[in-house]
Amino acid sequence: MSSHDVMPDMGLYQPVTVEDAAGIARQYSERGWLVGGGQDTYGWLKDRAKRPEVLIDLKGIESMRGIRETADGIEIGALVTLTELTRDPLITERYSLLAEAAGRVASPQIRNVGTIAGNVSQDVRCWYYRRGLNCYRAGGNLCYADTPEGMNREHALFNASRCVAVTPSDTGPALVALEAQMVISNGSSERVVAAEDFFVGPNVDITHTTVLRPGEILTAVRIPAKWANAEFYFEKVADRNVWDFALVSISAAMRVNNGVIEESRMVAGAVEATPRRLDRIEQAIRGKARNQETADEVAALAIQGARPLNYNHFKMPLLENLVNRAVRGHA
Amino acid sequence: MTYMHIGKDFTPPDVEGKVTGAARYAEDFRRDGMVFARLLTSPIPSGRVVSIDASEALAMPGVVGIFTADDLPPSAPPANPALAKEFITYVGQPILAVAAESEEIAEAAIERIAIEFERRPFVVDPLDTLIEGGPDPYPMGNTLIREGAAAAAGTTASGTAVGSIKWTLDQITAFRAGRFPTGAPWGEEWAYGDVDANFAQCSTIIEEPFVTIGQPHHSLESRTGMAYWENGKCYFHGSLQSHTVGHAQLARMVDVDPANLVFINENTGGGFGSKIFPYPMMAVTGRFAKALNRPLQLRITRADEFYIGSARSGMQGWIKVGLRDNGRVGAVDIAIIGDAGSGGGASGSSAAEHVSIMYQPEAMRYRGISLYTNTTPRGAQRGPGQNEMAAVLSPIMDKAGRQAGLDLVELRRINAPGADAKVGPRQGDISSSYYPQAIEQGAALFGWEQKRALPRQISATKVRGIGVGEGYHSAGASGYDGLLRIAPDGKIHLHTGVGNLGTYSYAAVLRAAAETLQCSWENCVIAHGHSDLHLPHSTYQGGSNTIFTETRSSHVAALDAIRKMKQIAAADFGGSVDDYSIGGERVFLTSDSSKGYTYAEVAQKAIELGGEYSGQVFAEDLNDTTKRSVQAMAGTGLIGAAKDTLPKSGTTPGMAVAFVEIELDTETGKFDILDYTGIAECGTVIHPKGLRQAMNGGGVWGFGMAAFERHVYDPQNGLPANVGLYQSKPPTYLDVPLQMKSGAADMPDPQSPVGSRGIGEPAQGCAVAALMSAISDALDGHLFNRTPVTPDMILNQIAQNGYNTGDLKTNTF
Amino acid sequence: MEIIRYRYDVWGEEVILGVSWDLLWVVAVTALILLAAHAIFMAALAKKKAKPSSEGKRVKRHDAIDRAFHWIMAGSVLTLIATGIAPIVGLRISWLNIHWIAGLVLTFVVIFHIIRAMFWQDFKAMLLGPADFKEPFDETIKPGKYSFEQKGMHWAMTVLVLGVIATGILLFLNINTPWWDRPSVADEGALGIYFLLHGTATLALVAFTAIHIYFAVRPEKIFYTRSMVTGWISEAEMKENHDTNKWKPE
Repeated sequence: MSSHDVMPDMGLYQPVTVEDAAGIARQYSERGWLVGGGQDTYGWLKDRAKRPEVLIDLKGIESMRGIRETADGIEIGALVTLTELTRDPLITERYSLLAEAAGRVASPQIRNVGTIAGNVSQDVRCWYYRRGLNCYRAGGNLCYADTPEGMNREHALFNASRCVAVTPSDTGPALVALEAQMVISNGSSERVVAAEDFFVGPNVDITHTTVLRPGEILTAVRIPAKWANAEFYFEKVADRNVWDFALVSISAAMRVNNGVIEESRMVAGAVEATPRRLDRIEQAIRGKARNQETADEVAALAIQGARPLNYNHFKMPLLENLVNRAVRGHA
Repeated sequence: MTYMHIGKDFTPPDVEGKVTGAARYAEDFRRDGMVFARLLTSPIPSGRVVSIDASEALAMPGVVGIFTADDLPPSAPPANPALAKEFITYVGQPILAVAAESEEIAEAAIERIAIEFERRPFVVDPLDTLIEGGPDPYPMGNTLIREGAAAAAGTTASGTAVGSIKWTLDQITAFRAGRFPTGAPWGEEWAYGDVDANFAQCSTIIEEPFVTIGQPHHSLESRTGMAYWENGKCYFHGSLQSHTVGHAQLARMVDVDPANLVFINENTGGGFGSKIFPYPMMAVTGRFAKALNRPLQLRITRADEFYIGSARSGMQGWIKVGLRDNGRVGAVDIAIIGDAGSGGGASGSSAAEHVSIMYQPEAMRYRGISLYTNTTPRGAQRGPGQNEMAAVLSPIMDKAGRQAGLDLVELRRINAPGADAKVGPRQGDISSSYYPQAIEQGAALFGWEQKRALPRQISATKVRGIGVGEGYHSAGASGYDGLLRIAPDGKIHLHTGVGNLGTYSYAAVLRAAAETLQCSWENCVIAHGHSDLHLPHSTYQGGSNTIFTETRSSHVAALDAIRKMKQIAAADFGGSVDDYSIGGERVFLTSDSSKGYTYAEVAQKAIELGGEYSGQVFAEDLNDTTKRSVQAMAGTGLIGAAKDTLPKSGTTPGMAVAFVEIELDTETGKFDILDYTGIAECGTVIHPKGLRQAMNGGGVWGFGMAAFERHVYDPQNGLPANVGLYQSKPPTYLDVPLQMKSGAADMPDPQSPVGSRGIGEPAQGCAVAALMSAISDALDGHLFNRTPVTPDMILNQIAQNGYNTGDLKTNTF
Repeated sequence: MEIIRYRYDVWGEEVILGVSWDLLWVVAVTALILLAAHAIFMAALAKKKAKPSSEGKRVKRHDAIDRAFHWIMAGSVLTLIATGIAPIVGLRISWLNIHWIAGLVLTFVVIFHIIRAMFWQDFKAMLLGPADFKEPFDETIKPGKYSFEQKGMHWAMTVLVLGVIATGILLFLNINTPWWDRPSVADEGALGIYFLLHGTATLALVAFTAIHIYFAVRPEKIFYTRSMVTGWISEAEMKENHDTNKWKPE
C-alpha cells in the first residue's frame, strides 16, 4: 500500500469524434478509462487504486463542447467546464440553480478544468474506497466504513446497501431538480436518460455510480425549458468553503404563483449514493404558501427513513434545516 | 530609537524567485547519472518484517538497487528509524527504498517487491493503551523512559527506551468521565506553590476535561533530498528549516566528516517545526547515493509526507482552575495524557507552561504521561503544547470568568503577565513583557467594549460570538555565532546559517548587522543556504527563536567588524579605537572625519594586515562550523565573526493576544469570521511586513486548528482517514476573513540589541484560542472541551441529539 | 481461467474473495451440454414404449402441505439464484433485500421440512440404502415411493441447500438487517472462505437445479411434476414405475 504520485505506464488515445471514442471504449471495455477534465481520474491512477490499461482522452471532441439553445431548453456539451457554467448567460439567466451549484464545486482551479460530465460521473469519495481498499464498491466483499467503529462522518443517511458512500456531485442534484436529460452515445446510437435515472445506487450496481456502460459516453446534458427562470434555491454545506465536498447540499426549483407553490423539485446531495429526490416534500408543499410556516411544517419529512451511522447523525438536522431554507426561500 | 533599517519594510532577496517560480528547491536539482529513489512503506500499523523478496524488482530494466534497514546503523525504539524492520509502528512507515533510472520505474518496482510481515497488536488512542490489559504500540510497552545511566554506559543509543505504564479500569473510567484519576501513576510531574491551600482561597473553581487532536504538518514541499559524492565529499540538496545547526547531525547521518559535507538548501517549502533538524530519511538519501556511487534523489509523495512529515501531538486532559474574588487565578491543577504517535514526544509540560505564564497562577501542579500510539510520529509543530493548550484553555477560562462575573478581557487583563511575570515549574523570570499593553491595544483596535454591547442574536438563525485568546512561546536563545565580511569592493557580505523557511526572518535578522554597521541595505549581500558560501553556526529556525537570537548574532558580528575597523584606523591615523566612529560606510576619527577609511579601504587594509582582521586568526569560542567558514574566507576582506555572549537571563517571551467576532449559523453549524485582530508582543518590530505575515499566517492556521484540521484513525485497522490535503482540510481563502487586523506593542526587549523577540508560534496560539472562545460565546458558553470544533459538532449541540464525540476519544471525528 | 478470486485485505495481505464467477459459465455450459447430450441419447436409444395412462384410478403421492413446501422452496431457490446471479451477469436490479428475504424463506421452509420429514413423514422412504444402488443397473428392480435418481437428487439438493443456507446465514450476519447492524470483520480471510463456500454451493445448486428441472420436464418423468402440482399419479403410472410392495400409498 505504498503511495505513488507519478502516472503509471499506460496507453493514451485522443479521439476527435464520439464514434471513435466509443469504439475505443467498447474495445477496451473495463480496461479503458474515459477522461475529460481528469479531476477524478488522475488521483485514482496515480494512487494505483484503479488500473486501466488505456486512457481515452475526450477533450479533443469538439462536438462535446459548448452550450446551445434548443427548441425545448438548452443543451450543454459534456466537456463544458464548471467555470463556463458559472459564466454562461443562458445558464446564469435561466438556470441559475445550475450555475450556483457549479460555482460551489471544489476550487477555481478545479472548476477551470473540471467538466459537467465529469462532475456528474465522478466516483464516490469514501476515504476507505479512495485509499484503494478492496471494499464492496471496489469489487470486494465488505464495507470498511459501515462498521461499529468505522469513520463515516461523510457517509450516507439513506438507501445504503452494503456501500454507504454518498454522491459527491454538486451539479448532479441540481440537474435532477431541473429534470435534465442525459444524452448517452455508444458511437452508433444515442439514448437519453432522465438525470434522476442516470445515477444508480449500490443496491442496483455497487461498483458504478451511473447507468453508463462500458463503451458508452455521456455526450451532453439537456435541460428542458420547463424550469427556466423558476424560483431556485441552492445551498451546499461543507467543512470548507473552497475545495471540499458537501456534507449536505440542497437543490430546489419551484414554480410559485402569488406566493403559492404550484410545483417543485427538491433534491438533496451527499445523503445517499445518488442525488436524493425529496418527493415527500414536493408533495407536501404543493399548493402551499412559500413561507416559514410551510417550511416548518414539512421539513421533518426530509429525514424520515434516515438510517444514520456512527458519526453522521448531524446530517439529519442539517438536511432538515436546508430543506427548511429551500422552502422558505432564504438562508 | 530611530533606526536606519529596524522597523522598516524591505524586499527579501528570495521573494522574486518565489513569485516567478525561479526559486529552486531540492527537487529541482539534477546531476548527470542521477537516479530516483522511492519509499516502500508499511501497510500494517504494527509488526515486523519477516522477509523481503526484491528479486523481481531488481530484475526490472532501469532498477539500480534497493536499500533496507540492514544498510543503516541499527536503531532501537523509541528512536524513529529511517527504515523499519523489527519494529513497524505505524501505517506508512518506510521499510525500504528502491532506486531506478526514472521515477516511473522506481514506482513500478515498488509494486514488484514482496514483503512478509508479522502483525502485532496496535492502538490509536492513548487511553486504550493506558488501560490495564490494553494493547501496546511497541512489544515492550507504551511510553518513553529515560535511561541516563544506561546511555552513559553506552547500552542504548539515545538514553531512552520504551517502557510500560498502565492505569486501572476505574482510573481510566474516571478520567474519561472528566474526573481526576486518583492514585494513577504519572510519567512526569511538577508543581510550585501550595496548590491545595490556594484552591481553598478560591471562590470560583471549575473542573473540565479536554481533548486536542493532533494534526499533520503537511509541508507543501514534500520532503526531498538529492545527494552525490565526489572526491570524498557529500553534496546534499535538502529541505530543512535550519541550515548550519543541523550540519553536524546530517554529517553523522550520512557518515561523513562535517568538513566534507556540503549542504545546499536555499529555499524550503514549509516545515512548521517538522524540518528544524535533519530527519531520518535524509540518512537514506545520503547513504543510498554512496552505496550506488551515483547521484540520487529521494522525493516522497504527498501521502508519504502525511506519514513521515511529522505531526502535532494530541492531548487528553483534565484541568481544575480556581479564581479568587479579585479575579486572580489562585491555583491550577492540570493532568495531560499526550499522544506521542509512534515516536517523538508529547508536549504536556509545554502546555502546562502556557497556563503558568499566561495566567500567572499563585500555585500550580502538572502531571502528565507521554504515550505512544500506532499513529504517525509526532514532533514540534508551531507552538507544540502551548498552542493546543491555548485552544482548549480559552473557553474553559471563559467559563470560569463568567461564573465569577468577569468580562472575558477583564479576566485576561487581571492575570496578564507583566514584566515581573514568572514562568514554568521553576518560576523563572522573563526578559520583559508589555503584554498588558498589548491587550489594551488589541481590545481597542477590535472594539471589544462596543462588540460586547451588540446583541448576540443577529437574526432568527444567526448568532454572534466574540472571543479573546492568548498565545505564548519562549522566543529566543543565545550563544550562536555571527559572521560577516566586508569586501575590498565595499560590499558587506552578511552570512547566516539560519534556514529559509519562508518567513524571511533569515534576511530580517541580518538587518541588525546593517543597522549596527550603519550601512545601506543595498550594499549588503546575503550569503545563506549553501555550505560553500561559508556560513556561521546559527540557531535553528524554529520555536519563535530566530528574530531574538540572530539579531544578537548579527549585532555581535557587526561589533566585531567595527572593532577591527577602528583598530585598523587607529593604527593608521592615531589615537585609540574609542576615538573613532562609523557612519556613511566609513570608519573615521570622531574629531576629524576626514581621517578615516571607507569600508572598502578598510577591507583592503584588513587583507594586507591579515591575522584576525581578515580571518586568519579567530576567536576560540566560535563553533567549529563558523571556524571552518572563517578559515575559508580568510584573506578576502575584513571579517566580523563573534559568538553571542551578550547578557541574557530568564525566558524571552513571545506573546500575542487575539480577538475574534463570528457569525454562527445555527442551521448549518458553520460560521463566518467577521473580524480578527491579533496583537503581537514581540518587542520591537524589525520587519513590519514580516510581522503581518506571521500574524496573518498564524491566524489562518489557528483557525484551521480550531475548526478544521485533525488526525482521524480507524481504530479497527489503524488506517488514517485524511492523508491528502483535501482530506486534512487546512482552511481556504473563503474560510478566513478578507481583512485581518494585526499590530504590535512594539516596545523594546532590553536583552536584544534591537529590542526584538520572536512571535511565530504565539501568532497561531492566540488565533485558535480566540476562535474557540468566540464559538463558545456564540453557543451560550457551551464547551466542546475539544479541538477542532466542526460543523457536525455544532449541529449536534444545537440539536441536542447527544451524538457529539465523548469519553475523551481522540484521533476521531 | 481462475477458480478462486483473491483480493487484498485492509493491510494488503492476499485473502480469498470468493469463487470465480467464470465458473458460472462453465457450470451453465457444461450442464447444458450434458443435458442436451442426455436428451439426444434418450431420444435416440429410448425404446418405444407406451406411456402409462394418466387416466383411471389416482394414487396420492404428495400431501398438499408437501407440495406447498416444494414449490415455496423451489420459488425461493430460483429467486436466490436469480438475484444472486443478476449482479454477476450485469443485470441492474436491487437484488440484495430480495435475496436475503428469499434466503430466510428457504431457511424456514427447510427447517419445517426437516421437522416434518423426521416426525410426520415416512423418513425411511427417502433413505438411500445399498440396495438402491442396484436399481439403475437392473431394469427388473423397481423403486418404492422414490427412485434412486429421486433420492439422489433429494440428498444432493439437501446437502447443497443446507450448504447455501449455512454459508448464507454467515454472510447474512455481515450485512445490515432490520434486526442488527453489520459488525466489524476481524478476519477477512474467514469472510472470504464463507463467500467461497457460498459461491461454490451456489454453482452446484445451479447445476443440480438445472438437472432437476430438466428431468422434471422430461416426457417420461413429467407425471411426477404433475403430481407435485396435483398431488396424485395414476395407478398405471405407479405400477409402471414403482414396486407396490415397497410403496403402499394411502
